[in-house]
Amino acid sequence: MAPPRLSKKRKDVAESDESDDGLAGTALEGVLSDDEDNDSGSESDPNSDDFNDPDDDDVGNDFDATSISSADDDESKPNYKVVKDANGNERYEYAEIDPVYDSDDSDANEKGNTIGNIPLSFYDSYPHIGYDINGKKIMRPATGDALDALLETIEIPKGWTGLTDPQTGKPLELTREQLELLRRLQTSQIPEENYDPYPDLIPYFTSIEEKMPLSSAPEPKRRFLPSKHEAKRVAKLVRAIKEGRILPYKPPEEREREKGEEEEVHYDIWANEEAQERHIMNIPAPKLAPPGYDLSYNPPPEYLPTQEEKEAWEKMDPEEREKEYLPAKFDALRKVPGYGEFVKERFERSLDLYLAPRVRKNRLNIDPNSLLPKLPSPEELKPFPTVCQAIFKGHEGRVRTVSFSPDGEWIASGGDDGTVRVWSLNGHQEWVARISTEEPVQVVRWRPNKDTFILAAVAGEDIFFAVPPLVSGALEKASRDVIDLGFGHATNGAVPTTADGAKKEPPAKWSRPGSKLEAAGVLLKATVRSAIKTLSWHRRGDFLCTVSPTGQRSSVAVHTLSKHLSQIPFRRLPGLAQAAHFHPSRPYFFVATQRMIRCYDLQRQELVKILQPGARWISGFDVHPGGDNLIVGSYDRRLLWHDLDLSTRPYKTMRFHTEAVRAVRYHRALPLFADASDDGSLQIFHGKVVSDLMENATIVPVKMLRGHKIVSKLGVLDVDWHPRHPWCISAGADGTCRLWA
Amino acid sequence: MEIDTSPAQVKVIFTTTEPDLQLPESGQQLLVPGDIKRYGLSRILNSESMLNTSSPIPLDFLANGTFLRTSIEEYLSTNGLSSESTLTLQYVRSLIPPVYEASFEHDDWVGDVDVLSSTSPAGLGASVNDRIASASYDGLVRVWNPSGETVATSAAGRGGGHTLRLDAVKWLSPKQIASAGLDRKVVIWDYTESSDGFSGSLKPNMELWGHEKAINSLAVNGPAGRILTASSDGRIGLWSSSKKTAPQADPETLPSAHSSKKTKLSSAANTAQRGPLAMIAAHDEPVTAAVFHPNDNTVAYSASKDHTVKTIDLTTSREVSRLTTLHPILSAIALPGSLIAAGSSARHITLLDPRESAKSTVVMTLRGHVNMVSSLAPSPDNEYSLVSGSYDSTCRVWDLRSVHHGLEEGGGSVSEPVYTIGREWLKEKKLPAAGDGAKVLGVAWDATWGIVSGGEDKKVQINRGRGLFAS
Repeated sequence: MAPPRLSKKRKDVAESDESDDGLAGTALEGVLSDDEDNDSGSESDPNSDDFNDPDDDDVGNDFDATSISSADDDESKPNYKVVKDANGNERYEYAEIDPVYDSDDSDANEKGNTIGNIPLSFYDSYPHIGYDINGKKIMRPATGDALDALLETIEIPKGWTGLTDPQTGKPLELTREQLELLRRLQTSQIPEENYDPYPDLIPYFTSIEEKMPLSSAPEPKRRFLPSKHEAKRVAKLVRAIKEGRILPYKPPEEREREKGEEEEVHYDIWANEEAQERHIMNIPAPKLAPPGYDLSYNPPPEYLPTQEEKEAWEKMDPEEREKEYLPAKFDALRKVPGYGEFVKERFERSLDLYLAPRVRKNRLNIDPNSLLPKLPSPEELKPFPTVCQAIFKGHEGRVRTVSFSPDGEWIASGGDDGTVRVWSLNGHQEWVARISTEEPVQVVRWRPNKDTFILAAVAGEDIFFAVPPLVSGALEKASRDVIDLGFGHATNGAVPTTADGAKKEPPAKWSRPGSKLEAAGVLLKATVRSAIKTLSWHRRGDFLCTVSPTGQRSSVAVHTLSKHLSQIPFRRLPGLAQAAHFHPSRPYFFVATQRMIRCYDLQRQELVKILQPGARWISGFDVHPGGDNLIVGSYDRRLLWHDLDLSTRPYKTMRFHTEAVRAVRYHRALPLFADASDDGSLQIFHGKVVSDLMENATIVPVKMLRGHKIVSKLGVLDVDWHPRHPWCISAGADGTCRLWA
Repeated sequence: MEIDTSPAQVKVIFTTTEPDLQLPESGQQLLVPGDIKRYGLSRILNSESMLNTSSPIPLDFLANGTFLRTSIEEYLSTNGLSSESTLTLQYVRSLIPPVYEASFEHDDWVGDVDVLSSTSPAGLGASVNDRIASASYDGLVRVWNPSGETVATSAAGRGGGHTLRLDAVKWLSPKQIASAGLDRKVVIWDYTESSDGFSGSLKPNMELWGHEKAINSLAVNGPAGRILTASSDGRIGLWSSSKKTAPQADPETLPSAHSSKKTKLSSAANTAQRGPLAMIAAHDEPVTAAVFHPNDNTVAYSASKDHTVKTIDLTTSREVSRLTTLHPILSAIALPGSLIAAGSSARHITLLDPRESAKSTVVMTLRGHVNMVSSLAPSPDNEYSLVSGSYDSTCRVWDLRSVHHGLEEGGGSVSEPVYTIGREWLKEKKLPAAGDGAKVLGVAWDATWGIVSGGEDKKVQINRGRGLFAS
């Protein structure tokens, strides 16, 4: 490997030499061409030149040595003399320098005045007019008296001008030639006489090639060869430039620019900006707008705001202003006051630069409808009630309550006229009993057992139990037996006493309602302490609970029909009780106060759960037949669905009514529920509850039933479902009930 | 050759099933212009060369089983037939609207009506006076003569009659009426009439006890002396109309078993009390109708609010088959053509085919009512029409032949009413909302009487029922 490498190296060197030569030959040839001519002129014989070089040096040295020795000879004789000055010290007095003949010191021999460029008149009061180079006074030349002057006028010296030389103070004398020269200069002529500015052209060199040249010698070879010496010098320069010892030449304008740049420092605030691709997603920071005419201290008058514009601008909220300044006119730039908003403006600009996200957001392009939960269309959820099928007319005044009998054949209603009426489904009134003359019938509820036919109705403080005579003897007898079963218990039951032995008033008195009502079928009456608002049966039909909101301590009462016994389960309730229901399958008891629904375990005698529907005033609620869900209606127009397993807050809130929701009711067999509102409408919902814990209830509003008239701001007061069919009955304040199917 | 710009002539063959309207042999084939419509065809047929009727008989034309409502040309083009094909047109007597004839006023709602005439099932073939029996909600059965006079009124509760409202009444024979209602019993009345026909009497023959809840409907088979009842207790009762053959009533079902002294006293003890031949617990929910098979009195059909129609073999008291629909059924009749028409609470009438061999159970749906269909009556004249009474205050007459195919629930084809009979006092008015005050509760159709309907307006209304359809 070594030999080829070496050879290569050598080759490299040779190449570099060649390149050097090439460089020198091309770049410097023209520059040095003049010198070459001179050389050729001086060096007549190149051969002798080479040989004589060392001799020349010697000769030069010799000459230098002799010159130095001669100088040594002059110095042996000092050019000063030592004299004593006034103090007796030595003082060197140098001899006058005698300038040599060819000295260009033209002023040397002229003893000029050294006072400088001051007017001579300063010396008018002195006998001298200045000082010469040696500090001696130059005495004022004697000014002749008038006689002398006269004499001199008679004998005018040659070249007299009558002028005084200001330098010397002597009369200035000029020769005739000098005067002639002055005259010529004054008349802008060529100062020299007989000078011909336009001489005839003598053609010393011609462009005409002579046929017969003066010399027939051939062109010397050196005329065609590049100079080795120059090549050496050029190579030297090139090496120096390569090594950096000689900096290359810069054009003057660039140098000037560099100089200027050094003096003035500019900072590019966008210098650090990262170069971003030109892309649609990149948003560069906005640059400040250049100032416009209206920002000028002296804007054109059309930019100046009028008085009204100024007032409008000042009235406007600072955030709403289109511009943050008002154009103003000043006479001069120095009268422009400082800009008060400067710091604020810079701050806001900085905030904008580093806080505002300059990123184009990828907006999700999703159809909002696709985000909605997939609800089945109402058509698929049939059957549900859609039209009014029967109108039950007969009540005078409002109908406050309706109820379907457990077999679905009968409808009971109660209203402000104090009557309880039982209707068949086609709208025919089958039975009526006036249970109260003053109080409206607040609630009617059938006992939820098919083996009896007992209707509980509430008017004021009384609960009536009736067996309408519409059923078979066996059924009627069974019903009567259930009602009468408790009479034995009432007498046997120990009368509760208070601590001091006094008889405590029982929570309710159970008695016969009187023969007239008994003949009509109303067989039992229980009177509690205060007016009852709601009533609800336990599923077995033995217990029923009543709520009398005004009854303070005894507001919620649980009655046992088989024992004619009433109990007050709660000593104290936070807030007014509104409604109460039994759990459909477990020993739980729900009590709604104005804002909350409390769930109690009746066996363990403890509070299980507190539901907070978030309504201001609960009007009523109903428990799903499955027992895990609850719907709550409120006077603030809301219908709330609670999932007891989910949370204490409502699972769904529905606002479909413009007025208070009065009643809510689940269908006992079908996935339907309805609410009744004061706006005269019923809203029917499909509410399917699945046993799967992972799946929430599907709630779909399916139908708004309208038909009831609004009477004194009351619309529909109660609603109930047929036990099996998708039919519902509503009680209206207009005195009618309506069956919807 | 002259270019004929008039519409193409269509070759038509006229046929008919009515013997009194037969055409002479020569007139049965005819070339008629293609743009001719029903009226033109009727004119042609009534002309001298054809039927040569003394007074024009309006005729309707059936092409391939459907009524011709357009011109012949349009009919051919819509059915994709060539105009050169021969069209067979069956001509029938045109329908005359069921004109209002009379109203009989009652004291209370009329729950059911039945008619007696020589053409009615009860009086078939016999020479009887035309009578209407109406069951009213005041518990009384009234018998009316054609001039609107009450011939006889049943006794009230104390006199052995009904104590609660009546929902069903039927003529068993010209001498007997069966009525039933909310008081759970069927009363067989003996009807006697004075010779002048202006006064009569209804005497309770016997009471049939056995149901625990209201009886919703009655069906009678006079020749066999059988009565079917449908009750809200979910059972169907089969009873004998004869006091002799009827078994003794179960004492548990009698009201005296439970009632107090007072009611015991009030109930008339002088009426015989009998029990059912069979009590068939077929349904879980109220049975709304039980009808005999039109030709076989050992087969009954029962319809219930539990959405089913069941076929019941009365000899074994067993359910044979069941048809399930989508809605509670409030009324049902058996049509002669082995179909059952069931009026549902979902405002339509479903025609069901109870035969085992039937491909689909729901044959046809009749839509048009806007409220529950409470009663149905078949046409006395033919197999393909019926009348329905609904809570929407109308009776509607249906022709099962005029159908179009619907894609709605239940499948089958859909038909629309031919005539709508409103209550006469509500004439020219809008239908009351929810049928308020004018619900039709019972309807009967007889060749003599026409369409008789009673309802909430305490009236029995009679509309002309003949000639509504041509056969």
